[in-house]
Amino acid sequence: MEGKMQNLDMKHRRRQSNTKNVSLTIGIVLVSVVLFFVVVGLFWTPYEPTAMSAALKNKPPSLLHPFGTDNMGRDVLSRVMDGAGTTFIISIVTVAIGLAAGTLIGAFTGYYGGIVDEILMRLNDTLTSFPSILLALVFVSIIGTGKYNIILVLGIIFIPSFARVVRSEYIVQKELDYVRNAKLLGAGDLRIMFVHILPNTKPILLSAITIGLNNAILAEAGMSYLSLGVQPPDASLGRMLSEAQTYLLNAPWLALAPGLMIVFTVLGFSMISENIQK
Amino acid sequence: MEKQNHLLELCNVSVGFPKKGEKSQMNVVTHGVSFYVEQGEALGIVGESGSGKSVSMLAAAGLLGGGGKVVEGSIRFRHGEDSVALNTLTKKQMEGLLGDDIAMVFQEPMTSLNPVMTIGKQVEEMLELHTDIPKEERRERVLAMLGEVGLAEPAALYGKYPHQLSGGMRQRAMIAMAMILRPRLLIADEPTTALDVTIQAKILELLKKFQTEYKTTIILISHDLGVIRSVCGRAVVMCGGEVVEQGDVKTLFEQPQMDYTKRLLAAALGKGSLLKKAEIANRNETVVRARDYSVFYEEKTAGKKIKREVVKNVSFELYAGEIVGVVGESGCGKSTLAKALAGLNPLTGGSVDISCSQPQMVFQDPYGSLNPAKTIGWLLTEPLRLHRVGTKQQQREAACEMLEKVGLERDYYGRYPSTLSGGQRQRVAIAMAIMLKRKFILLDEPVSALDVTVQEQILILLVRLQKEFGLTYLFISHDMNVIHRICDRVFVMYQGEIVERGEAEEVFQNPQHAYTKKLLAARL
Repeated sequence: MEGKMQNLDMKHRRRQSNTKNVSLTIGIVLVSVVLFFVVVGLFWTPYEPTAMSAALKNKPPSLLHPFGTDNMGRDVLSRVMDGAGTTFIISIVTVAIGLAAGTLIGAFTGYYGGIVDEILMRLNDTLTSFPSILLALVFVSIIGTGKYNIILVLGIIFIPSFARVVRSEYIVQKELDYVRNAKLLGAGDLRIMFVHILPNTKPILLSAITIGLNNAILAEAGMSYLSLGVQPPDASLGRMLSEAQTYLLNAPWLALAPGLMIVFTVLGFSMISENIQK
Repeated sequence: MEKQNHLLELCNVSVGFPKKGEKSQMNVVTHGVSFYVEQGEALGIVGESGSGKSVSMLAAAGLLGGGGKVVEGSIRFRHGEDSVALNTLTKKQMEGLLGDDIAMVFQEPMTSLNPVMTIGKQVEEMLELHTDIPKEERRERVLAMLGEVGLAEPAALYGKYPHQLSGGMRQRAMIAMAMILRPRLLIADEPTTALDVTIQAKILELLKKFQTEYKTTIILISHDLGVIRSVCGRAVVMCGGEVVEQGDVKTLFEQPQMDYTKRLLAAALGKGSLLKKAEIANRNETVVRARDYSVFYEEKTAGKKIKREVVKNVSFELYAGEIVGVVGESGCGKSTLAKALAGLNPLTGGSVDISCSQPQMVFQDPYGSLNPAKTIGWLLTEPLRLHRVGTKQQQREAACEMLEKVGLERDYYGRYPSTLSGGQRQRVAIAMAIMLKRKFILLDEPVSALDVTVQEQILILLVRLQKEFGLTYLFISHDMNVIHRICDRVFVMYQGEIVERGEAEEVFQNPQHAYTKKLLAARL
């Protein structure tokens, strides 16, 4: 009897979570669509992404070219598949840099506090008080444009936001009794920081990562749009949007595919992260 | 069916809360609760956390949060000649009753008072909302009421904010607010749980005064049988959302009929010591020797760092195999002393010698002392990993053995703390503390966060482990009964000093210091 009740209860709960997590499902579907194109694009694209053809200049979408061709006669779909991969790699590496350095800084400053914390956090404040795109411009003007430089620059710009999140979590966690207990058991500071406390920051880190990925994709698109990021003839979503702008009136389809791709990714990641946070 | 003198009567009341997500499904937390309270009497409702005692009373006052409601049964309140069913009243009608006829006092006086409103204004608001007494007279009434609940200098208090008051004063202010309209029924939900023992006694006295002088009917909810016994004439025992037993306090406590009541009483009434005289430690081997030991806290006041002396020049010895209790009220420095002895506070003066390396500690709150991200097995093997004791296989085996020793099954190894109850967590915390086989263990209020029946089990476990491993405990507690039950010797701390010390029996039978006498008198 009780078992039956439990069974019913489980069913209820499952249905509940399904209805409640509509946005999670949509998010996963959107991200999967994007990932499908990116992964396939790594191995195969309908046409060579950089193959030009004078005859195919600015052709509207057709069966052969579902998203049309651009001003150089290149297939937009192939370029989007290729470019999305580039954008993805840039944003993932960017977030990884920000996450790794940010976690380190956040853990040390949050755990130890004191004068080092004070200095690093004021530095952090200084970094965040400038618009990030402006900061990126400054960095790029020093170290130059290009795919790898952009990764480095965006990575550095992403450090403060991660550091801040991790730091505040460490400040809370270090006062808890389990940390005191670990100290009494003989655990060193490093072990407490990265073995005992770090796993407890997971929920907050996960949502910071998804938000970070979104921002990185937008930042790359923005940088490439300003011709500071990926250089021609290579494709990236931002680069393609920037090229599409010139022909927006007579060939609007140029912006459609890369735009949709960005919207799908950002929306998808936001929806997933929102559910993780809950 | 219904008698004239029943002021409040609950008849088969089941309270349900909507399940998350699906509003139509109710999660029923009390099942067919029936009891009554007669006009002018004091009724106690006793039970462990989660027994449904608070929920039933919140239902009566129409204060159920989170969409909870009475799904079955009726709650009737006598109003003039006839009675009203409280559970069918509209919100507006209920508001008319609350304050005028029914008042409530809650456990945490800090959160139940509005922090941005002065005490006087908050009490006066009750008059403003429920009566048409003119302004000048209202103030008079408020001041008289504040005086009546035992607050000194009501005129000065009138303009103070809740954070400027101590816990006991806040609770008095809460009672003033509840009583100013002379309600017929006062529901007090764990009104003294957050307070020190000496203040607790005074608050309970105050409640009794209202019952005898104004014939106020009181329903007192508490997990503490002592509190119930000292105020109430009749009591209801609740467990798992059901009424287990009810009746006269005297008969209920002396001849309990149901197993649960017996268990509850056995746990709470454990008066004598758990130790046998013959087993009391030999006093040859010193484990801890402290000389003029002081502990400081650094405080930042107005940008300046000030060293405040929390423990003042205490000297004592602890001998191998004994359990020494440190008792005192919050803020007396007992926890600070324990933390300093464990090495968690480096600001100390004087000298202390501890014969074993790094003593271990068991903390009060088992929800904070176990890392929620790790499994029980990981937590228990961590000390062994840190000190490189044994192979992985041996560590695992040692952890499993320790689980059995503290009365848990081996399959707890792979579980996370969040799946354990408070008592089970505290068992794990104790296991962690003795994993390293250190001889000296500090216990900082290890049973204060637990239900009474669980408290007793943990105390018995502690005594058993102490004998088995030959441990020495320094046992910190604010609860005289707990100290009496487990300790060989007692230190009484007051404002950072040890004001009395001696064999437990002696201190309890024949206290010397005035403060010890006060603590013992406050004991229920």
